[in-house]
Amino acid sequence: MTYFLAQVLNGLSYGLVLSLIAAGFAIVFTSTGVLNFAHGSVVLLGAYLVAVLHPTLGFWPSLLVGMAGSALVGVAINALLVRHLADQNAGTAAILMLGVDIVLLTELTRRIGNQVLTLGAPWGASVVRFGDVSLPTGRVVAAGVTVVAFAGLWYLFARTDLGVGMRAAAADGPTASLMGIRLTRTAATGWALAGVLAAVAGVFLTSFPAPGVAPTVALSAFAAIPAWVLGGFDSVPGAVVGGLVIGLTSALVTGYEGDLERFVGTGFGEVAPYVVMIVVLLVRPSGLLGSKEAVRV
Amino acid sequence: MTHLPRARALTLGAATALALAACSTTDPNQAGTAAGSGSGSAAGSGEVQTGNGVTDAEIRIGMLTDLSGPFAAGAAVQVTETKAYWDQVNAAGGVCDRDVAVDVQDHGYDPQKAVTLYRSMAPDVIALQQVLGGPTSAAVLPLAEQDDVYVGGVGWAGSALQYANNQLPGASYAIEGANAIDHLVDGLGVAEGARIGVVYFAGDYGADVLAGAEHAAEERGVEIVAQEITSATTDLSAQASALAQAGVAGVVLGAAPTQLASLAGSLASQGVDVPLIGMNPTFNPSLLTTPARDALLANTYSITSVAPYSSDAEGVKAANELYAQADPDGALGWEVPLAYVQGELLKQALQGACDSGDLTPEGVVAALRESSSVDTQGLLPDGLDYSQVGQSPTTTVYLSKVDADAPAGLALVDELSGPSAESFSYGG
Amino acid sequence: MSELRGNPWPRRVGGLVLVLVALALPLALSDFWLQTGLFVMAAAIGAVGLTLLVGVAGQLSLGHAAFAAIGAYVYAWSTGEATSTVGGAGLPPLAGLVLAAVVSALVGAAFSPVAGRLRGIYLGLATLGLVFVVRHLLVNLDQWTGGFTGRSVESFALGGFSFSNSDPDYLAVAGVEFEGLHRLWYLFLVLALAACWLAGNLRSGRTGRAWANVRDSETAAAAMGIGVARAKASVFVVSSAYAGVAGAMLALAYGRVAPDVFSLTASVDFLVMIVLGGLGSVGGAVVGALFVTALPLVLAEYSGSLPFLAAPGSGGLDPSTASRIVYGLAIIAVLLFLRGGLAGAARRLRHGSAPGAPPSAPGPTPHDPLSTHDVGRPAGGPARSKETTP
Repeated sequence: MTYFLAQVLNGLSYGLVLSLIAAGFAIVFTSTGVLNFAHGSVVLLGAYLVAVLHPTLGFWPSLLVGMAGSALVGVAINALLVRHLADQNAGTAAILMLGVDIVLLTELTRRIGNQVLTLGAPWGASVVRFGDVSLPTGRVVAAGVTVVAFAGLWYLFARTDLGVGMRAAAADGPTASLMGIRLTRTAATGWALAGVLAAVAGVFLTSFPAPGVAPTVALSAFAAIPAWVLGGFDSVPGAVVGGLVIGLTSALVTGYEGDLERFVGTGFGEVAPYVVMIVVLLVRPSGLLGSKEAVRV
Repeated sequence: MTHLPRARALTLGAATALALAACSTTDPNQAGTAAGSGSGSAAGSGEVQTGNGVTDAEIRIGMLTDLSGPFAAGAAVQVTETKAYWDQVNAAGGVCDRDVAVDVQDHGYDPQKAVTLYRSMAPDVIALQQVLGGPTSAAVLPLAEQDDVYVGGVGWAGSALQYANNQLPGASYAIEGANAIDHLVDGLGVAEGARIGVVYFAGDYGADVLAGAEHAAEERGVEIVAQEITSATTDLSAQASALAQAGVAGVVLGAAPTQLASLAGSLASQGVDVPLIGMNPTFNPSLLTTPARDALLANTYSITSVAPYSSDAEGVKAANELYAQADPDGALGWEVPLAYVQGELLKQALQGACDSGDLTPEGVVAALRESSSVDTQGLLPDGLDYSQVGQSPTTTVYLSKVDADAPAGLALVDELSGPSAESFSYGG
Repeated sequence: MSELRGNPWPRRVGGLVLVLVALALPLALSDFWLQTGLFVMAAAIGAVGLTLLVGVAGQLSLGHAAFAAIGAYVYAWSTGEATSTVGGAGLPPLAGLVLAAVVSALVGAAFSPVAGRLRGIYLGLATLGLVFVVRHLLVNLDQWTGGFTGRSVESFALGGFSFSNSDPDYLAVAGVEFEGLHRLWYLFLVLALAACWLAGNLRSGRTGRAWANVRDSETAAAAMGIGVARAKASVFVVSSAYAGVAGAMLALAYGRVAPDVFSLTASVDFLVMIVLGGLGSVGGAVVGALFVTALPLVLAEYSGSLPFLAAPGSGGLDPSTASRIVYGLAIIAVLLFLRGGLAGAARRLRHGSAPGAPPSAPGPTPHDPLSTHDVGRPAGGPARSKETTP
C-alpha cells in the first residue's frame, strides 16, 4: 500500500509539472490558434537560462530571468514570424514552429554539449517524508507553485480586463476586435504566459530527481501533448486534469511494469499516455473539458 | 502530375527499349584482369595489391560520427583524438609507406543520413574507423558487410558481432552485464537468492546488458528485477521506488549519464543504500556537479570495456598525453582512450593487410579476422580474439569506482573476468 | 498540379523532359546521389498519399509514418525467409509489395471509424498516438519484426531479375555498371510516376471532388448525396496504401527495417513536405519530399567544404550544427515568403501572375486541415486572413 501511495504521489506531482506545459500549449492555441511544436525548446531554454545564470545571479533572480527570457522568445516568435506567415493558417503555423524548434534546439544542444548543467535549486536533493512515503522536495515545491500558478491564471481570465479580453478574442476574434479588444495584445500575452509557464516547468523537470539540464528535456514537452489533448484543446483546467491523468498513468504503468509485462510488453509506460489519449478522444471527441466543437453549415 | 499522354507512354517505352539495347552482362574487368577481389586493382607500388581508398601515397579511412545530434560532444572528443592519432602515425612514417588521411562525416544520429553518407564515402575509403550510434551503425553495418568494408567503433552491442566486418573494441555489453552480476556476488557480497535490479534502455544496448545479466543471474542463483526505460526518461523516481519495493541488493544500469544521476539520487533519497554499477557510457564527470554527487560517490561503480582515463597503463598515458596536446581545454573522459585504441586496432589491421600484400577493403577485414591475440598496451584487455565471428573478443572488463579525486571522476579498481562472463556465449 | 489551363503542351513537354532526365540520371550520378534519390522517391510517394488525405480531404494525420511502418514490415515479413529468430513467409517480392499496400490500406480502413468521429487537430493528434502504439508493437512483436534492431529485407526481384548487386552479377548500360542502386532507381521511378499519375486522376475526378466537398462542409456534402463516412474511409484507405508502398520502398532503400526509421519525426517530416510543397498539390508534395529529404543529406555531405566554420568540437559553430540550422531556417523562409508553398510559387512563376492572385484551378484548392473552424475556434491569429498584396 505504501508502494502504491508512493507511486500515486510521484505520478500526481509529475503530472502537475506536465500540466504547466500542457497549459502553455492550450493558451497559445486559444490565443493564436498555433500548434506550438517549439514549446519543448522553450521549456529547455528557460531551464538553460537558469542553469547558466545561477552561479552569478543566484537561483531566484536567474529564475526570473529565465521566465522573462522564455516569455520574450515566445512573444518574438509570434510577432516576427507567426504574424508574417505567407499563408495565415494553423497548418503552416505548426510547421513554422517546427522550423523554429529545429533552430532553437540545435543551438541549445550545441551550447549544452555533453555537460549535465545543474540549476542550483535551493532544495537540492532533499526529500520530504509523509509517513512511510518520501517525495523529493523539488516535487513538493512544484506542486505548490503549480497550484499558485493556476490560481493566478484563473484570476487573470476571470477577473481582469486583459484576461476577459483574451477569452473574448478566443471565442470570437473579429467580434472582439470590433469591440475594441486589441488582438495583437491578447496574442502577445498568450505567448508570454506560455513562455513563463514553460520556464517554470523546465526548472522542475531538470531539478532533482532529474539530474540537470540536458537536451532530452525538450522531449518531455511531447509527453505533455497527450495531457493537453485529453484535457481539451482550449481549456486550462483541462490541462490540469490531463496532466494529472497522464502523470498518474505513467507512474503506475512504470511502477507495476513487472506485473503488466505479460499483457502489454515491455516499455509500455512510454505508450500508455497516448493510449489513454486515444481512448478519451473516442469517448469525448473534444477532450474531457474542451468546448463542444461547432458544426458549421 | 497530368494524365500520362499516349505519346509520352510510347516515348517511355522506346527509351526503355533503347536502354535495354545498350545493356551488357559481361564484366570487362572480370575478363581483363587477373582474378582480383572486386574493385581491387593490382597496380601500385611494389607487390602490394590495392583497392578503394588507397593510392601510392595515401590510405584514406572514414569516420561516420555524430557531431550535431545527441552524442555530439563526446563524438567531437573522439574526432580530435583520432586526427591527432593518425597525425602521429604519419609523422612516424605512416602505414605501408603511405600517409593515412581521415574523412570525417556527420550523420547527426540519423540512419538515413548515415546510409547516404556511407554510400558517398565507401568508394573512397579502405575502412571505416567508426560508425557511431546504435540505429546508425545498424543501418550501415549490413551494407558495409556486402561491400566487405571494415567497420569499427559501433559501440559494444552484441547485435553487431554477427557481422564479420565489425571490430568490437573490447568486451560486449552482455559481457559487461554478466561481469557486473559476478562482481556484485563475488566482490560486493550480494547473497545467493537476493534480487538485483537491471534498469536498461529499450534497444540493442540495453537488451544486451539484460541478456548478460540474466545469464549470470541464472549461474549465480540471484533474481533479476528488470525495468525498461528510454533515453527520454530523465526522472527515474518511479523506477527507483519499484526497485526499493522489490528490495534489491544491487542495481545494474544500462543507460546514459542523465539516468545514472537520477537513479542514484532517487535511490539514496528513498534510503536504498545498495551498490549501483553502470555500464560503459553511463558515467560522465560533470555528474559530480549535480545534486546526486553524494549518492554517486557513496556506492557507484562503472564497468567499461576500455581502460578508464585514470588508468596508468602505458597506452592510456600515451592517449591522454596526445589528447592534452591536441586540445588542452578538451573534455576528459573515456572517449579519449577509446578513440586512440580504435586507431590502434585499425592500424594493426591495415599493417596486417599490407604484410599479406592485400591492401584492399577485403584484405583489411581478413587481417582483422586473422588476429586472435591482439595487445594494445593496456588500453583494452590483452589477447583480444577477433577470429570468432559472433562472439565477444574478450571476457575481461575494467571496474572503476566513482571518485571525485581521480581524473575524469573514475578510479580504476580492477580488471575483471567473472565466471559467468566466461561462460556466456551468444546464440548459446 | 493537374489543372489543365490554356495550352497544356508546354507542360507536357516539360514533364516528358523531366522523365527523360530522371531516366538518364543513373548513368551520371554517384552512389551518394542515387541513394538520396531513392529516399526522395520513397518519401515522395508517402507525401503524395498524405496530401490527398490532408490537403484534398482535409483529414489531418500525424500518423503517416505508422502506416509506412506497417507497409515496410509487411514487405519484410512476407518476402523474408523464416530464420531461427524471425518469421517470414518467403513470398515473391512483387506479392510482398502488393501485400504491403493492401495491409496498410486495411489498417487505414480499420482506423477510419476513429477518423469519422474526430476532426481537425483532434484527429491529427489522435493519429500521433498511432505512431507510438505501432512503434510499441514493432519493438515487442519481435518474432515477426526482429524487435528494436529490426530485420533485414529481401531485395526486390521480378522474374529472376534482381534489383540488387547480384542476379545478374554484372549489368552495364552504355558502359556504366548498373548495381543495386541503379536498378532500384528505375523501380522507384516507375512506382513514383504511377503513384503521381493515379493521385492526379483521383484528385481531379469524382472521388477527389467528393473528398473536397467533405472537407469544405460535411453537411453540404451529405446534402449533395455524398456518403460522408464512405468518402472519409476511402481517402484513409488510399492514403494508407500510399504510405504502405512508401514504407516498403524505404525498406528496400535501406536493405533493412527498424522501428527508428518510422519515428514521430518521420511522421512530422511527411507533414512538413506537404505543407512546404503546398497543401493538396501532388507536384508540391513531390517537391516538398525532395526538399525535406535531400536538403539535410546534401548539407551533411557538403557542409565540410564551407570554409568559414569552426572545426568540430572547438566550441564554435561547426559545419554539422550550421547545416541543421540552415535546414530549420529554410523551412521558416519558405513559409514566410512563399504563398501556397513551393507549388504556389512555381505556379505563379509559370503563369507570371501577380503573387496575390488566387489560384483559379477547377480542382480542389489547397485547404487548411488544422483550420480552427473545425473545432469552434475563432478566426483570429494565423487563421485570420491577411492582405494578399506583398
